[in-house]
Amino acid sequence: MAMIEAEHLRKHYRSGDARVMALDDVCLTIEAGAFVVLAGRSGSGKTTLLNMLGALDRPDAGALRIAGHDLLAMNADERAAFRLHHLGFVFQAYNLIRVLSARENVAYVLQLRGMGRRERLSLADHWLAEVGLAEFADRRPDQMSGGQQQRVAVARALAAKPDLVLADEPTANLDSHTGAELIDLMRHLNEREGTTFVIASHDPAVIASARMLVTMQDGRIVSLEER
Amino acid sequence: MLIYLRLGWRNLWLHPWRSALTSVALAIGIAALIFLTALNEGWMQQVKGNFALTLTGHVQIHARGFEQSHRLADSIRHPDAVIDYLRKQAGVMEVAQRLRVSGLASSAEGNGGAYIYGVEPEVERRLSRLAEMLSAGAWLSPRGGHELLLGDGLADRLHVALGDKVVLMASMRNGEIASEVFWVRGLLHSGVLDIDDSMAIVPLGMAQHWLGMGEGVTDIVLRARDAEAVPALVRHLRQHLDPGTWEVLSWSDIDPMAQQWADFADAYTWVVLLIVILVVLAEVLNTMLMGLHERVREFGLMAALGVRARQLFVMVLWETVLLVLFGGTIGLLLGGALVWWYGLVGIDLSRFAVAFSFMYMEPVIHPALTVESCARILGAALCGALVAGVLPAWRAARLEPVEALREW
Repeated sequence: MAMIEAEHLRKHYRSGDARVMALDDVCLTIEAGAFVVLAGRSGSGKTTLLNMLGALDRPDAGALRIAGHDLLAMNADERAAFRLHHLGFVFQAYNLIRVLSARENVAYVLQLRGMGRRERLSLADHWLAEVGLAEFADRRPDQMSGGQQQRVAVARALAAKPDLVLADEPTANLDSHTGAELIDLMRHLNEREGTTFVIASHDPAVIASARMLVTMQDGRIVSLEER
Repeated sequence: MLIYLRLGWRNLWLHPWRSALTSVALAIGIAALIFLTALNEGWMQQVKGNFALTLTGHVQIHARGFEQSHRLADSIRHPDAVIDYLRKQAGVMEVAQRLRVSGLASSAEGNGGAYIYGVEPEVERRLSRLAEMLSAGAWLSPRGGHELLLGDGLADRLHVALGDKVVLMASMRNGEIASEVFWVRGLLHSGVLDIDDSMAIVPLGMAQHWLGMGEGVTDIVLRARDAEAVPALVRHLRQHLDPGTWEVLSWSDIDPMAQQWADFADAYTWVVLLIVILVVLAEVLNTMLMGLHERVREFGLMAALGVRARQLFVMVLWETVLLVLFGGTIGLLLGGALVWWYGLVGIDLSRFAVAFSFMYMEPVIHPALTVESCARILGAALCGALVAGVLPAWRAARLEPVEALREW
């Protein structure tokens, strides 16, 4: 079953008088349960594509379906609801709400979904244990390292059992050892939970972990490699 | 909703100094407003109470037309039945009869115009403050007789002292002039010119006899149990007394001056309230906009996680309301404590006593706080908070997640 069906996506930005083509006729199909890495140099369009897949941005043209839902037919509120119920995010940095503890950060999305207090806190503790942070549950982001914060973000992304987890340069601010641990964790959870992961990165360690590698250049997909 | 309250509260204390300073500014503003309002309320209660009970009484009942004509021909000829009725009313504390006429007071050394009041000595003592204004001599004796109380200004003009003889002259009901001899038993000093320079008080029975009034009087004067209930009492009496025979007037109908002072003071308090709230809320708006500027990425993250624009709007609005509620509550407690303390000990302004007595004020003011005043101030602060919160909330709600997430 296809998790992502992107057809002829186009997106351009204005930079001064110049017209920059961020996505140029991108077509991509990703099956459910895949572990995909979008690779490419800065400005290649991988973050723009990730934003499209995350219903955070809209293409100028093309068609996009995620888990069977037509994203381009949705208004802003519907896209917000779609993100809440179908997607999980791990960003490059500053992933967490700084006034909430690790447990509250994980439970926050569950609460937005309407889950009861006891159930969501229990689930948050479970996922913090899954990412090896059981003893950090009561700490706030500024009391944790960058790697620990990224693992909390992974726990938050997975706790709500999303169809798709999107990660934008998740290892960019981590040392290589911590970055490798994070990738191992995501890979492990992908295999165990069957959740689809799409990661935008130019980190060689992340690229090496891909089961499907999509390489982009100047807004176009230049290679697609199944491993 | 709880999560937004929790987020709002914690976000406020991310920058404790900033939030504390804003809260302190709010607290001082609200406390000052509470105290100012209570001070105003305290002295306006004094002014209205003193004004009404100095002479007018809370309610006056006349025969139809007397308020306009002030002629003895428009007097109440047989007051007993209506007095019995009035004494049975729950809101009425005391009922007195008076005979009121303008006339001339003369002594061996001078004369002057006088407002002559015939009063029931014992009842009047319980109804009005006239007996408290006695500056020399004694109040009228219960048995009456040719006793006279004079305003001290009038006594000066007549060059009379206690025990001296004064002749009062006035028109009778039939228009003829009648005069009577009285001896000065006491002098009054109120600080109010109309009383001090013109007042002549004699026993009611003596005045009725002198002016050939039989049992007739010009005024039936009421003291209400609760000054705030006077409007309701007046409405009730107007419904139950024949308007073709009687006119029922409240103290503010008879002389609107004190009520206008109170209304002016109230309007003045509103203006001060508005200015203070505007200044304080400018501070709140500044705090919230600074917070918004620092948290753009956080709002982007929340939007990315699925928080809707209107939820972000409500969250930021809650933060503003929490900030104002926090500062406002401290201000309310601080202001309430000040009002409580000064309500007990009073604020001694006796160095301004002369000016105050002219305005029916006492030299010691006791601030008085009402629930309505507190609700008005806190309500205004909260309304202001909502207004001040709208701009940052609107900006937060309008953030595009992609743009916001790029902020560092």
